[in-house]
Amino acid sequence: MTVSKKESTMDRVNKGLAKRYRREKWFRLSGLGAIILSIGFLALLFLSIISNGWTAFQQTEMLLDIHFDAQEFDVDNLSAANYGVLVKDGMRTLFPEVKERRNKRKLYKLVSSGASYILQDMVEQDTTIIGSTQKIWLPADDEVDMFMKGNISREVAENNRRLSDKQISWIDRLAADGRLKKRFNTVFFTAGDSREPELAGIRGAVAGSLFTLAVTLLLSFPMGVATAVYLEEFAPKNRWTDLVEVNINNLAAVPSIVFGLLGLAVFLNFFGLPRSAPLVGGLVLTLMTLPTIIIASRASLKSVPPSIREAALGVGASKMQTITHHILPLAMPGMMTGTIIGMAQALGETAPLLMIGMVAFIVDVPGGVTDPATVLPVQIYLWADSPERAFMERTSAAIMVLLAFLIFMNGIAVFLRRKFERRW
Amino acid sequence: MWKKRISFTAVSLFAITAVSNVNAAGGRDYISIVGSSTVYPFATTVAEQFGKTSSFKTPKIESTGSGGGMKLFCAGSGIKTPDITNASRRIKFSEYQKCQKNGVKEIVEVKIGYDGIVLANSKKSAQMTLSKKDIFLALAKDVPKPEGGETLVANPYKTWKDVNESLPDTKIEVLGPPPTSGTRDAFVELAMEGGCKKIDWIKALKKTDKKYFKSICHTVREDGAYIEVGENDNLIVQKLAANPKALGIFGFSFLDQNGDKVQGSIFGGEEPTFENIAAGKYPLSRPLYFYVKKSHVGVVPGMPEFLSEFTSDKAWGDEGYLSDKGLIPMPEEERKEFSNDAKALNMLVLEK
Amino acid sequence: MSPKMFLLILLGLASFVYMQAKRKACSLNVSFRGSSGLHSRPGYYGLLSALWCVVPAVVIFAFWMFFSDSILTSLALKTLPDSLQNLSADQLNLLINNLRNLVAGHVAARDIDPVLQKAAVQYQGMAQISRVALGLVMGIVALLSASIVYSRIRPEMRARNHVERIVRLALVLCSTIAILTTIGIVLSVLFESIRFFQQVPITDFLFGMKWSPQMAMRADQAGSSGSFGAIPVLTGTFMISGIALSVAVPIGLLAAIYLSEYASTRVRAWAKPLMEILAGVPTVVYGFFAALVVAPFIRNSGEAIGLIVSSESALAAGLVMGIMIIPFVSSLSDDVINAVPQAMRDGSYGLGATKSETILNVIIPAALPGIVGGVLLAASRAIGETMIVVMAAGLSANFTANPLQAVTTVTVQIVTLLVGDQEFDSPKTLVAFALGLLLFIVTLILNVVALYVVRRYREEYE
Repeated sequence: MTVSKKESTMDRVNKGLAKRYRREKWFRLSGLGAIILSIGFLALLFLSIISNGWTAFQQTEMLLDIHFDAQEFDVDNLSAANYGVLVKDGMRTLFPEVKERRNKRKLYKLVSSGASYILQDMVEQDTTIIGSTQKIWLPADDEVDMFMKGNISREVAENNRRLSDKQISWIDRLAADGRLKKRFNTVFFTAGDSREPELAGIRGAVAGSLFTLAVTLLLSFPMGVATAVYLEEFAPKNRWTDLVEVNINNLAAVPSIVFGLLGLAVFLNFFGLPRSAPLVGGLVLTLMTLPTIIIASRASLKSVPPSIREAALGVGASKMQTITHHILPLAMPGMMTGTIIGMAQALGETAPLLMIGMVAFIVDVPGGVTDPATVLPVQIYLWADSPERAFMERTSAAIMVLLAFLIFMNGIAVFLRRKFERRW
Repeated sequence: MWKKRISFTAVSLFAITAVSNVNAAGGRDYISIVGSSTVYPFATTVAEQFGKTSSFKTPKIESTGSGGGMKLFCAGSGIKTPDITNASRRIKFSEYQKCQKNGVKEIVEVKIGYDGIVLANSKKSAQMTLSKKDIFLALAKDVPKPEGGETLVANPYKTWKDVNESLPDTKIEVLGPPPTSGTRDAFVELAMEGGCKKIDWIKALKKTDKKYFKSICHTVREDGAYIEVGENDNLIVQKLAANPKALGIFGFSFLDQNGDKVQGSIFGGEEPTFENIAAGKYPLSRPLYFYVKKSHVGVVPGMPEFLSEFTSDKAWGDEGYLSDKGLIPMPEEERKEFSNDAKALNMLVLEK
Repeated sequence: MSPKMFLLILLGLASFVYMQAKRKACSLNVSFRGSSGLHSRPGYYGLLSALWCVVPAVVIFAFWMFFSDSILTSLALKTLPDSLQNLSADQLNLLINNLRNLVAGHVAARDIDPVLQKAAVQYQGMAQISRVALGLVMGIVALLSASIVYSRIRPEMRARNHVERIVRLALVLCSTIAILTTIGIVLSVLFESIRFFQQVPITDFLFGMKWSPQMAMRADQAGSSGSFGAIPVLTGTFMISGIALSVAVPIGLLAAIYLSEYASTRVRAWAKPLMEILAGVPTVVYGFFAALVVAPFIRNSGEAIGLIVSSESALAAGLVMGIMIIPFVSSLSDDVINAVPQAMRDGSYGLGATKSETILNVIIPAALPGIVGGVLLAASRAIGETMIVVMAAGLSANFTANPLQAVTTVTVQIVTLLVGDQEFDSPKTLVAFALGLLLFIVTLILNVVALYVVRRYREEYE
């Protein structure tokens, strides 16, 4: 009797086994699927940005014969000359058959409005070119650029695209003459913001980001480390320090936009600091990164084993000596890692900066922490909202630059962790 | 040991450089501009031109809406307040009074050109043909009872077809500017009030109870059919392109720049084109302005030069670069008048 | 000589003082029966002197940085004729700007007022004097205080204790500043919100069903009625966060389980950092991605099967936000799953359970509190997220449960309300602070609960 019962249990187990193994397999596969899915999202994100943005590193240029007519220039006041007319003359000599006013306007639109600034710079640098005719590569308008990169299709009906049939025929002729060429887009790295995509660059935003981050780093690192050391090593353990600990942990999770509100209320309205300045941006981001740094620093102080402390105290070191000679050097890599991660967060942050006016249109590259500036992520936000198709690829390109910075910073953090991580 | 010293020196040098950067003595040396999002594309273009061709810094421009800009502008005449505010409508008497009260006594008014208010939708849908009355009935908060009579009911219309048989059977969904915007003010005054007057008994009210008349005609519905988008006309265009059912309200220049994505509705029998607006045929056209704080001229560097750049024929003339951006130029005499005003800094005097 | 140079010189001086003091201490170190005669190690004497050299001078420098400009300006203004002195505050303020621009060499007007020019020249002269004075004072103070300390160096001087006291003081100062600013600043949002609640009753805000904050700006304008009911905004926020969580929780949890229970060390070493990149991508990038790729995709695929999809559907924003918070869920769950004692697994295997049965019936229940904590933290992240919703969600406060429609969120409204009108005098701008406070409180509660749950859980197994 007992034998048959045993067999039946075994039978039931054996019968169920196939199903259970199948379930096991499915479960395992779904776990793998989840990982593949999330890495797939990451890949999709990067792919869509890179495929949109890589073309922005090239810019179409146009070869024009510019005649620097001596009559146009007054040697004492070079900036008074009408450089736009020189560009227009250059275009007209290429297409002498265009007569009607409407068509002329369409023709002039093919070349960037920034061409005149380039001519002005050339003349100011070398006045001897006045009176001569020069062959000069000038940036083409963003619509031409988009057409050359294949983002404007000929197949679309004429009134649904930004270039008319006539303009396209002119572009074709220029291209056939070898007067259109794609070149590396240096303007993108050397210019500030602009209303014209072909003149817009990220230098102003990068400089703004650097100033903002410098303020953040200078304030948050010393203050964060000092606070962590005090709380971890000196402060008495009581209700008050418990409260402080809870407070810091919660601040780390407060939505960043709330810090923007604080910045607006306190730094701008109460202290009257200038709007749109990296100084204020840095202060706001300091408040945001301080908890991150404090928490990371405390964790890395905690991870130093007590035996080190005891040994140091045992050979007669004072508490401060124990900390500065033994604990801080051991905890420093962890603190640095936390700081770099905090800085990377601050570099990517947008929302609080919208609140303190860093969204203005600013062309000049800032020269100090009180000059008006934007930062890289805000520039991305501004460009993402711009209607011109050419700004879309520039947005993606700016994102690529931002991501490169972030990956670099996180790479350093990972390197530090790998190199100095110790298991006790 | 050496490593330590080098890193210590490097850190202290970095700190010293950063600290001493803070104290860049000197006042504000750039022009600060706020105001209308409709004038924003023109103002930024002029600012960029000005910054690149002169020795002055490029002005800083924030898009805050005409009303918001006026509020900042009239807050006082200190250096923290903006020097110039753009407006897509004329300054209101109440704002003028507020300016006077806060010590902004001397204001120079410069009209820069004309702009049409367009109602546009995505090119993926059919073009709409609208009248002022349609607009009023579709967007007012309270409308006359559809069955007739002289009483008001909360706006019952859900689709355009409910408003007018000839319109398509799509949901009323209009993206428009908030009350901080001058486009909103101009739209309400030109389109809504215009449609309101088509209804006789309401028109009669204008003489008897002006305040009530205004509240009927100017109040926009709040049940979700009219969506207030912030001070960002680009955003409206983007959202229209993404949502073919919606209609958007913005300045002509944005239609001009985005002719491949959106189309303007035919309004009052006329299409919103450069020519129609310039000829005054298109009913929803309004002038654009900017206002200058005279007390800041000679204090903030570059003010007279910026004004002369903006009022030069190169910028706002018939073939100027602003007309490329969609600004409809003023006639020659008017241009001359305002450019003289700007040069001489003639003060604006408003009387009720 | 620029102030920057002073600091550099001070730095050099300090290291010189350090060397000298250290040398003196060494020379005093006559060994006393084999053991050192000094109380502290020689370096501490050097450090103490160097600190006394630098700190007072730097304090003077800081004061000068803050006040010299305003003092000099007021002095320069004194030289102006009386007619210019009796100006209103605003006009004075303009005059000062003009003066400073003149000083810095940015010329504002074409013809410069000679009186002002004179004042500017005077200013420059005085600025020169003040810089020289600063240098002298800093140098004298630094040398004086350093030499006092230097002269007091004796073997029995308790240099180490002095240095440690100074350092400790600095530590206390830093942590007080860090903590006080954070608290003080939270209070400021509270105050602005209280100002709002003085104008609009708190019950209207919390329980109102209608959100229409764009009030008229002037007396002669007809705007919205100004309804500040936060319910539709809150439901929108919760809907988008809910969608995000329903994406992130299953994916994140399954990924964490796979990584901690199944994956080989090599897979783990690659997959984990890759997934964490998702958390490091700036939110503005996600917003761009949502608006550019995901929203059109959802609308097109919805229309392909005959659904009406708003271009700013809650679904698109929620989906992308879900992708963003996957790593929050997965890395926290990973930690807690790893913390489940091996003995529990071994027990389950011993009873003949398969791996998946062990995970589902033993490990997950054991780790559940920690997982819930992680999910709550991820939820608070989703609720406070701004850029994704600003760029991809809508602006109209629809009270709806349909994820294909556009809804608005708390963060979107804060951004919309505060761009444009910056005067803090109307409920329209102040309500942004009330929303911010609400956001703060909601995330605070979520965090406190999450931390509490996680801590309780840790205590159970450690």
